[in-house]
Amino acid sequence: MSSRFPANALLIGLAAAALLSCDREERHSRSKPVGETVPAATSPDTIWPGGTMPQAPDPRAKVYDNNAPAISEGQFLYTRMNCVGCHSHGGGGMGPALIDDEWRYGGRIDQIASSIAEGRPNGMPSWRSKLTDDQIWKLAAYVRSMSGQPSKDAVNSRSESMSATTPATLMRRAPAHTSDTPDQ
Amino acid sequence: MRIRAGAPILAVSVLLGGCTYQHYQSTFSDAAVEVRQFNILFVIFLVICTIMYVLVLAFLVAGIVRRRRAGIANVIEDGRHHQSDPLMRTGLVVWGALVGTGLIGLAIASFSADRSMASAASRPRLSITLTANQWWWDITYNSADSSKTIRTANELHLPVGVPVRILLNSNDVIHSFWVPSLAGKQDLIPGRQNDITLVPQKVGVYRGQCAEYCGAQHAKMALVVDVDSYGDFLGWWEHQLQPAPTPAAPLAKMGYTYVTAGPCSACHAVSGTPASAIVGPDLTHFASRRSIAAGVMPMSEGNLYGWVADPQSLKPGNHMPTIGLEPDQLHAVVAYLETLK
Amino acid sequence: MTACNRSEKQPLGSAEVYSTIPAGNHAVAPPGASPRDDGNWVMPGKDYAATRFSGLNQITPANVDKLALSFTFSTATTHGYEAPPLVVNGTMYLITPFPNYLYALDLTKAGAPIKWVFKPKPLAASQGVACCDTVNRGAVFDAGKIFFNTLDGQTIAVDAKSGQQVWRTQLGDIQKGETITMAPLVAGGKVLVGNAGGEMGVRGWIAALDEDSGKLTWRAFNTGPDKEVLIGSRFKPFYAMDRGKDLGVKTWPPEAWKIGGGTVWGWVSYDPETNLIYYGVGNPGPWNPDQRPGDNKWTTGVFARDLNNGEAVWFYQTTPHDLFDHDDINEIILADIPWNGARRPVMFRPARAGFFYVQDRRTGQVLSAAPFGYVNGYRGVDLETGRMIPNHDKDPKEGRVVRDICPAAPGAKDWNPSAFSPLTGLVYIPHNNLCMDFGAMEANYISGTPYVGADVKMYAGPGGNRGAFTAWDPIHQKKVWEIPEDLPVWSPALVTAGGVAFYGTMDGWFKAVDARNGKQLWQFKAGSGIIGQPISYRGPDGRQYIAVVAGVGGWAGAIVSGKMDPGDPTGALGFANAVKDLPMKTTAGGMLYVFTLPR
Repeated sequence: MSSRFPANALLIGLAAAALLSCDREERHSRSKPVGETVPAATSPDTIWPGGTMPQAPDPRAKVYDNNAPAISEGQFLYTRMNCVGCHSHGGGGMGPALIDDEWRYGGRIDQIASSIAEGRPNGMPSWRSKLTDDQIWKLAAYVRSMSGQPSKDAVNSRSESMSATTPATLMRRAPAHTSDTPDQ
Repeated sequence: MRIRAGAPILAVSVLLGGCTYQHYQSTFSDAAVEVRQFNILFVIFLVICTIMYVLVLAFLVAGIVRRRRAGIANVIEDGRHHQSDPLMRTGLVVWGALVGTGLIGLAIASFSADRSMASAASRPRLSITLTANQWWWDITYNSADSSKTIRTANELHLPVGVPVRILLNSNDVIHSFWVPSLAGKQDLIPGRQNDITLVPQKVGVYRGQCAEYCGAQHAKMALVVDVDSYGDFLGWWEHQLQPAPTPAAPLAKMGYTYVTAGPCSACHAVSGTPASAIVGPDLTHFASRRSIAAGVMPMSEGNLYGWVADPQSLKPGNHMPTIGLEPDQLHAVVAYLETLK
Repeated sequence: MTACNRSEKQPLGSAEVYSTIPAGNHAVAPPGASPRDDGNWVMPGKDYAATRFSGLNQITPANVDKLALSFTFSTATTHGYEAPPLVVNGTMYLITPFPNYLYALDLTKAGAPIKWVFKPKPLAASQGVACCDTVNRGAVFDAGKIFFNTLDGQTIAVDAKSGQQVWRTQLGDIQKGETITMAPLVAGGKVLVGNAGGEMGVRGWIAALDEDSGKLTWRAFNTGPDKEVLIGSRFKPFYAMDRGKDLGVKTWPPEAWKIGGGTVWGWVSYDPETNLIYYGVGNPGPWNPDQRPGDNKWTTGVFARDLNNGEAVWFYQTTPHDLFDHDDINEIILADIPWNGARRPVMFRPARAGFFYVQDRRTGQVLSAAPFGYVNGYRGVDLETGRMIPNHDKDPKEGRVVRDICPAAPGAKDWNPSAFSPLTGLVYIPHNNLCMDFGAMEANYISGTPYVGADVKMYAGPGGNRGAFTAWDPIHQKKVWEIPEDLPVWSPALVTAGGVAFYGTMDGWFKAVDARNGKQLWQFKAGSGIIGQPISYRGPDGRQYIAVVAGVGGWAGAIVSGKMDPGDPTGALGFANAVKDLPMKTTAGGMLYVFTLPR
């Protein structure tokens, strides 16, 4: 038995442990029915008159936010469900820009999922009746990656269309903060 | 110049084909001009190379045996290497001639096979655009009259004896079109249009599959090819042009509403209804196809229920989500889908 | 791309003269469609012939440099302002982009105070299906009423004196992606309205409402079976390519015509002598042409229809199987030109495709089609068959990017109309100089969402200037003079009998130039870019006034009015790349400016 054996075994053990705990690659392909689990209208950061009870973050945020297959499926849906028609590749157009750090209705993943499911005044359609909540969360995860929010090892490294914006793996992180612009 | 193959060659080929128990997904079939020519070529190569191989083995054995016999002095030590052994010389010449002839024969056979395949396919009379997606085949039949084009999925119908040119596109990653009974492989590469031309010769149903690893469900990306007589093919085309009728039965009517106004219409199209999406296969004549989801299961009511209820358990990772239909919604949707013949 | 050194060429903003104005025998406006100027401005085109020519001549090249601001008014909106102010006997009417407020200002009092405001309250969700900013191209006055359309698909008639609603008719459905942005045309007791939404998979139509009751009299679709397109026995297209039965179905894949576009979001002209209306049809949908093989009738062409019952009289398809979103909805200027010793009734059409069409307005025959900008997407128009000759090198291909296509999708000229002066015989064309890269891909149809299938990136064309203001001789088919502009010229033009032409730039300069030689005579920097129609009217005091509303936006200015991020060149269907410097040059606004000569 070589004297290297214990060290090699330790390295192999560590690597295995690291890989086995890699949630980043876990695929969630089945989901609960539409309408049951889509988040209730999660308000963007606003005044809570008289204060409010501390709210636990939505557990699904952890599941989808830095999940590579979710972001990948979100990219597939972003083009196919015509998000690209209104928001372009993040620059906006009929809809607001998604690659900047201004979010009218909140930039947390659960707030984005809520915007997609409920629709918003001034033109964002409601997708609740057309997409499962799993698909909506995946879209929300991809939308977050457009402004560089998730960790760089989970985002997509290539787009499947004309090269437009900076690749997500190089995008500088634009932390979400809610815009206070009224009306528009 | 076609190779007029005599019965023997074909017989060998068929015998070899008989080694497999089915002809619908076998490279040894004779269902198309290309495959037939290729098989003839294959047999010629096999025969010639076998003869050569046997000869080589024979010489090897002869050499070993001769060496064992005592008394044959070493030629070099003996100084007799300047003399040429007439037998050896003749043998060498014959061998050279044999090899040369064999190679020329193979070359001619190869060239002829290629030319005959090309000439059979030189004037295609039907044009089909096949777009591969993960993990299904999107098929459009092209026509000079654009109002006669049809869109279908996963099942190709071809007329016997008519050269057909299939344009090959991909929407995402590299796939490969392979129907062994009809033709060789041709890749579908995103950003590039390939094509393959084939001439089916025998009426029948054949199976093809994707032959280039394209993701988690590469194994469940089969293609059914139905070769019909010309009349049947035209009838099929006419039928495909018909839009789906609005159903009368109440359950199917409920299903119609759900399919055309609910989540199904975000990805699927049914001609004759407002649903016109192209993300997933066209469902207008879905129930008349032989399989569900590109060869995952044969078409049947029970399998339809299973697929619509939970596609992710049957083909995990594919883009059709498990919606989680209520039981009555499931009954309604399947009832409607079954009317889409 | 040709990157020319600017310093060697004509400096931006100043005119290059190419030839002289034709003397004597030149084009004139048909008197029936273009009556004498009464000092009012009652419809966006000034008259049914769409001349946008003011007969007032107090302001001349000699004195225009003294033009001064008379009063201003803030419309309280900050989206693209494309409409002209209307002036009727001492009252000015302004229709704003969403939420489509209608203001009446009293010109007889100092400072033009508000007489009344009408607020139609269109659905806010309609902003989500308006492709190119939430604009409105104008209202119309007729028989004591103001007629206008709202973004969510209604046509409304309001009493011009009191501001009370007379009637309201719902014509469009935002669930299908339809909006209405065009200015109606009112003639013969009918209000003509068309829908918008060619990028949303709608089916295009034009409808006539009764002027007094608002009831729908007839509606003609621009795709589908002949019965619905109102094609009957009177239909006689000039060219063989437009003849056949049910071509609105046969030139499409099955069912594709139902979501095939062909909207009417631009301009309608009218000839009272023949009682025919003329209008152009928008692009087929989706932009990705591989999804819709066939000629795609009756999109990207021009219809002549009978005003009373809408039946089609002739049609000409400018770009069969359109490849580049070259809607054909631009203004149709009616004129009479000398032709072989006689007068021939024609129409002038500076089209998106980049050619200036002169067509006989009785039959649709193309007399000439010369390029007025740089074109490489087509090889020209075959005058024998009438058909556009494609350049197959520039064919969009699914899954690939085709580069350097000129003109870009907004064309050599978009909706913003030119003006025609019967005195000089020239057409004053405000237009673009843009080329594009076009990446086609499969478009998915979901009603109420975009149906496009293309990634586009636009940039300046040869020369480096993104726009130009050109004076064009329609008979000799050539430029007389041209002013290159840095930014696309997205404002309509005005030309007056005094010999002055007016236009605005996207960064806010309102300019007056000499109509004969393009020499810039006066300019004024407005608070926002100008994309709205300038008008000229006679005020209650008898003086000539020039009015324009400055509010940048529209497709070209969406990067400002929509607060887009310039980091994505494909934004706003590719326009973001062409004008990514615009946010640093101007900001959103909606201010009326009225100018006059000092006493």
